[in-house]
Amino acid sequence: MMFRLTEQPSVGRVLMRTLIALAYLIIFAPVVMIVVTSFFAQELISFPPPALSLAWYANAWAKPEFLRGLLTSFQVALLAAAIGVPIGTAAALAIVRGEFPGRQTLSSFLLAPLAVPGVVAGSGLYMLYVLAEDFFDRDIKATTEGLVAAHTLLAIPWTVRLVVASLQGLDRRAEEAAANLGASPFTVFRRITLPMMRPGVVAAAMFSFIQSFENLDLSMLLVGPGRITLPVAMLNYLEFRIDPTLAAVATVQITLVGLLMVVTDRFVKLSRVV
Amino acid sequence: MKTMALLVVPACLLVLALLVGPMILMFRISLNQFSPTQLMVQAFTPDNYIKAATDPYYQQIIVSTLGIALFCTLLTLVLAFPAAYWLGRIESRWKSLAVIATLFPLLVGNVVRSAGWMALFSRGGLINVTLLKLGIISEPLEIMYTPKAVIIGIIAVVLPYMILTIASVIESIPRDLEDAAANLGASGLRVFWRVILPLSAPGVAAGSILVFVLCMNTYATAVLLGGPKFKMMAPAVYDQFVRGNNWPMGATLAFMLLAVTMAFTVFGSVAFARRYRTA
Repeated sequence: MMFRLTEQPSVGRVLMRTLIALAYLIIFAPVVMIVVTSFFAQELISFPPPALSLAWYANAWAKPEFLRGLLTSFQVALLAAAIGVPIGTAAALAIVRGEFPGRQTLSSFLLAPLAVPGVVAGSGLYMLYVLAEDFFDRDIKATTEGLVAAHTLLAIPWTVRLVVASLQGLDRRAEEAAANLGASPFTVFRRITLPMMRPGVVAAAMFSFIQSFENLDLSMLLVGPGRITLPVAMLNYLEFRIDPTLAAVATVQITLVGLLMVVTDRFVKLSRVV
Repeated sequence: MKTMALLVVPACLLVLALLVGPMILMFRISLNQFSPTQLMVQAFTPDNYIKAATDPYYQQIIVSTLGIALFCTLLTLVLAFPAAYWLGRIESRWKSLAVIATLFPLLVGNVVRSAGWMALFSRGGLINVTLLKLGIISEPLEIMYTPKAVIIGIIAVVLPYMILTIASVIESIPRDLEDAAANLGASGLRVFWRVILPLSAPGVAAGSILVFVLCMNTYATAVLLGGPKFKMMAPAVYDQFVRGNNWPMGATLAFMLLAVTMAFTVFGSVAFARRYRTA
């Protein structure tokens, strides 16, 4: 039933299956490749590998740029999600449930950061930060605060989009029933609305965290000595060489993203929210 | 419920301060002049825009960026459509797994995927070794640091976006239409050409616009797989700030990139009322 279009064996069917296989090969090849490479024993990547090794996983964290990068990225992503998700959720609630004019425009406005290229937004913030540093006479660029502020620009639109979508699908009768039975508006919100919003908020938290954690474009002008995020550290390293040490770091990132997706999928079906 | 309106205030203030403000600042700075000694001189001139449009160095960057974006978009469309059809038509419990599998590589980040391609493309990489062993080539191919490498790398990045966008439209096309056409004697190719393709046009258009914009803004893939000589817009913007310390020109190029991106995005959302900008 999956290939109704091409049920009879034909050139079309073969071509279609080939294209599907090719598309997924191109999507997965680099991800699989980097995981495989991280187990190669030799530092110079060559096929077939003479032996396999787990040594690079220890070696990777001996390099300060990767360990600090991982910790910085983790910290920034966590803080950006912790700030951006509640703010975005509040905005989403007002957009769906409020009764004031211009809500559609507001929604587009809050989604706008997704449409602005990361390099462009990063350039603007870079200039703002440098000028503000002169003005306030304190560091902003290459600080955790500066990076977290920038990354809330990722968390807010993702949260607005996902929570608005989940609120629009809610059945309001449960809330009305609770209100009719004497629950105060606050109790209705806390006991009915909030639990029903949970899938949207959980998905928003995951997307915000991952978007921040893997972000390069927005962050690369805002990092500096001592405050380098993991993707920027990996990019700097890769400009000189590709080796199993880097592959091990990349594999850790892949694993982390995969775990987050699996955990989130238990709360909310990812295939429905994207 | 007036108080509800207050809930949007923090989000709006953040977007204003961290996005709108910097974009206005950037536009203003793009009208300044660059001086090698003083770096930036206050001015109010379109000189930087004229230079970007007429200087062969910038012209070439703009043309090659648009060319690569267009080429990658078309190739991605051809590769993505069958996969999108397949994904849009799965009705089993595998559906959720297939969507997650399509989404996952997208979330691991472009740097990691570029690194994967580097391991595949290098002289001792899997592609060269396999081709040498099979006797198809006698000398290793130079794939790294060529436009070919960049194009493949970009396509891998944008394919999931195109697949997910088109699949969401195909899901909403009733199967009955395909069955009806087939029952009336249309061949598979004809059903595709006369029924599926026209009905999925909004998804194709929305996906193509999204992918074109993403291609144009490629950074990591261009830098890592194209090497230092390969120039696209996003790396050029970065270079102006970091290597050239030329804020006015950096702001000009960034603003041009923003203008083209916004023009396509707004056109896309106006022309197709549904919001297709999926993850």
